[in-house]
Amino acid sequence: MTASAIDLPQGTLDLLILRTLALGPEHGWAISERIHQVSSKVLQVHQGSLYPALHRLERRGWISSKWGTSDNNRRAKYYELTKTGRKQLETEKSEWKKLAAAVAQVLETA
Amino acid sequence: MLFDVLIRLRSLFRRKQVEHELDDELRFHFDKHVAKLVAHGTPHNEALRQSRLAFGTPDSIKEEHRDARGTQLVETLAQDVRYALRVLAKSPGFTAVAILTLALGIGANTAIFSVVNSILLRPLPYPDAARIVTTDGNESMPDLDDIRAQAESFDAVGSRSMQRLDYTGGREPMEVFVIAGDAGMYQVLGARPELGRMIGAQDDTFGAAPVVVLSHAFWMSQFGGDPGAVGKQINLSGNLYTIVGVMVPDFWLPQHHADAYSTLRIVYPIEAKERGVHVLTAFMHLKPGVILDQAQAEMSAIDASLAKAHPDHDAGVHRKLVPLLDSIVGDTRAVVLIFFGAVGLVLLIACVNFANLLLARAASRQREIAIRSALGASSSRLVAQMLTESVLLSLAGGTAGVALAYVGLRGLLALAPRDLPRLSTIAIDGRVLVFTVGLSLFTGVLFGLLPAWSATRSSAGDTLKEVGRTIAGSLASLRLRRLLVVSETALALVPLVGAGLLIRSFVGLASVPPGFRPDKILTMSLSLPASHYKDLPEQVRFRTQLLDSLNAMPSVQAAMISELPLGGDQIDHEAAIEGRPIIPGKNPSVQTRTVLGDYFDIMGILLLQGRTFSADDRTDSPEVVVVNQAFVRKLFPTQNPIGARLGWALENPIKWKTIVGVVGDVKHFGLDQPDAAAAYGLYTQSDEDWKRWMTLTIRSPRDPSSLARDVEQRIWAIDSALPPTDILSMNAVVSETLSPHRFNLILLGIFSIVALLLAAVGIYGVIAYSVTQRTHEIGVRVAVGAQPRDIIELVLGESGRLVAVGTLIGLAGAFALTRFMSSMLFGVTAHDPLTFAAVAALLAGVALLASYVPARRALRVDPMIALRHE
Repeated sequence: MTASAIDLPQGTLDLLILRTLALGPEHGWAISERIHQVSSKVLQVHQGSLYPALHRLERRGWISSKWGTSDNNRRAKYYELTKTGRKQLETEKSEWKKLAAAVAQVLETA
Repeated sequence: MLFDVLIRLRSLFRRKQVEHELDDELRFHFDKHVAKLVAHGTPHNEALRQSRLAFGTPDSIKEEHRDARGTQLVETLAQDVRYALRVLAKSPGFTAVAILTLALGIGANTAIFSVVNSILLRPLPYPDAARIVTTDGNESMPDLDDIRAQAESFDAVGSRSMQRLDYTGGREPMEVFVIAGDAGMYQVLGARPELGRMIGAQDDTFGAAPVVVLSHAFWMSQFGGDPGAVGKQINLSGNLYTIVGVMVPDFWLPQHHADAYSTLRIVYPIEAKERGVHVLTAFMHLKPGVILDQAQAEMSAIDASLAKAHPDHDAGVHRKLVPLLDSIVGDTRAVVLIFFGAVGLVLLIACVNFANLLLARAASRQREIAIRSALGASSSRLVAQMLTESVLLSLAGGTAGVALAYVGLRGLLALAPRDLPRLSTIAIDGRVLVFTVGLSLFTGVLFGLLPAWSATRSSAGDTLKEVGRTIAGSLASLRLRRLLVVSETALALVPLVGAGLLIRSFVGLASVPPGFRPDKILTMSLSLPASHYKDLPEQVRFRTQLLDSLNAMPSVQAAMISELPLGGDQIDHEAAIEGRPIIPGKNPSVQTRTVLGDYFDIMGILLLQGRTFSADDRTDSPEVVVVNQAFVRKLFPTQNPIGARLGWALENPIKWKTIVGVVGDVKHFGLDQPDAAAAYGLYTQSDEDWKRWMTLTIRSPRDPSSLARDVEQRIWAIDSALPPTDILSMNAVVSETLSPHRFNLILLGIFSIVALLLAAVGIYGVIAYSVTQRTHEIGVRVAVGAQPRDIIELVLGESGRLVAVGTLIGLAGAFALTRFMSSMLFGVTAHDPLTFAAVAALLAGVALLASYVPARRALRVDPMIALRHE
């Protein structure tokens, strides 16, 4: 709940989750913390949208989950990128870059 | 994609576990969040508060998760079902009436559909049964051999006849039913042995060693299922047969129970050679690619060539090929379909009542519906909820209906005439259950949709403001309910008229004079085995000895006849009259019946002219015959038949018999059929040594069962190896011929009574509801001086108009439909005005009675209370 946090545009949350998981299996809290850290505390993912997104991605087969033990010995559900998820990440990344470039271009020139 | 389905399924079926995991996951997240805040120096309590604020309510989170899991639709449905069950359980009266109504309709349909399914739809239990055809008449072995040799359309031709043989290997002599066919029949029908081997072509030749295949049931009852039975010999009517096999238990032949299987060339070698002995039912298997029309064309050509080659026997014969199933089902198809139509009407009435109940209920639930819609339920969501309720009810009704059908079917089968084709196969099977489930769902959706739609249409605001209490919304639904009364009346009238016509037919049929007096007559059949009674003198000696012995009993008069009236048997000959030309194939056909003793006297058959047989008509005296009225009408319309001489056209030389008397016609073929021209001869003067059967007719005031035992003893005193069969009173024989009519009547009667009751209940419901709705109006009327009479007239007038319209429509419908049941009627036309009028009066009476009860209630309306209610 940082004051400078902004809402994520539709669809970008999936991309961020996939990107975060590309580094290795993580549980939900760590994913949201990581996005928060890496975005220099601009992006805050509420768990109210994080978990539905995780379950949606799992249903699509892009990530898989299993129960494991966290650093302080508690049971936690870890999510991991699947092969299709990795491919999907590449597609979404390139599409996002195209979109961002296009939007930037419009903003610069129009 | 596969993931998707698996995860959805897991969410659905392991719902608890999935929810639990979600809880764990969210709690972990929450704790981590709190721990982070604490680590940054927030006090623990404050950290908890902030975290809870950030998280929102746990339930709304979970709701979003469920959406993400993709089980929303099914979970909504489950929720609807739970809600519906709760609502229905809260009003057990409504639920019970609705389920019972549907159970009656669906149960009747399930029972009759299982009959339709078993008789008309299910294929016969033969390989490639659809390509098996038969002919429309009885065939002789030589004709069939010629057909087999000449026809290109068939890849196999077979035939069978049923012969009764005596079996003396058991405890008492008994009659066994032996299928005497040919090897082709076993091939066409795909007969397989359970044990040993089948009858093959090598057995089916004249002079082959006699072999027999036992039925499974006979093998079990007589040999205790001993495999060693194969290879043994059994004695059938004095001949030894080697048992070569046992038939599989489920082998079935149309119309006939069978104890054993052999071939006609073994069982009756003499008859099998005769082109004139037509005792065989043919089975032909069409070659692949040959259609019925082609085969028929070829058959007709063969008929023509046979007629040329054997004019004595085959002139004028035109065989019609009929698919085997059609020939077995025959006229029953129309009857079964009529019943199916009748129960369809019953179901419609039940459905109308069901819709009516739902409408009334929706009206009383308007506030609930309005509140739900005000709280944000979409109207499609409300319709779905109400549909869930009606479908649940209809499925429950269907389940109860299947139970009802199961019980009803047992009663129905107990009542069914024994010659109903495929009777033993009638059962509730998978296809019937699919039909019932489909019917229930269809009923629930279709008849639930209307009330659901009409309930959600009224505006929530109006209902909540109590404006809709009397006026607009309910007026439309009242109009709908009146329409229901009209349609129920019309629907109930049709089966009622049908039942009325059947009652008139049955009464007419039962009061037909049979031409004989059936009271106090005991009948029993005997057949003399060829092995011991091959020649006529032995047969005559047995017959006279038996009659002498029976007539010596006090207060007993006994005679015998070869073919008992209404007994189902007949034999006819081509007749020749002395002095008239004989034309092969064109000679008149005459029934021959052979008697001994005072047959006409004992049966009470009227002598109209001349004399009956006397003691002077002996084996060595000139042959005489007695003819019936139908014979006189056909052959001597203008002349006196007494003294004329009759013979059989195929005899060479013809032995002429003098006509000495004319007796009245008897109903020989059925109470609804006229007698055919017939000639009675004497067993003592007969030269037909193959006619070894007889039915005793014994008139006595004694108790039939003790009489039957005494008669058996006297039979066994002469020949201990003879089994008497078909021991029945003559009244029972007559009654048996009425049994299909009785069956039709009872069945349609039950359906129409159910229809009438359902319609009465429906009418009662609508009128009662309308009285409740008009309480205020009635109160005002009473307040301004209306008399009880006026109020009764008001209520009855309303229902009277509706019933009158319904009756008119129903009469028109019945007029259009009853002609399909002409074949089931006797002595009454399908448009019998008396029946139509009586049924209309009955229905109107019941309908008025059903509305009289609520009318009485209207009388009790207290104007003060009714008015204050405003």
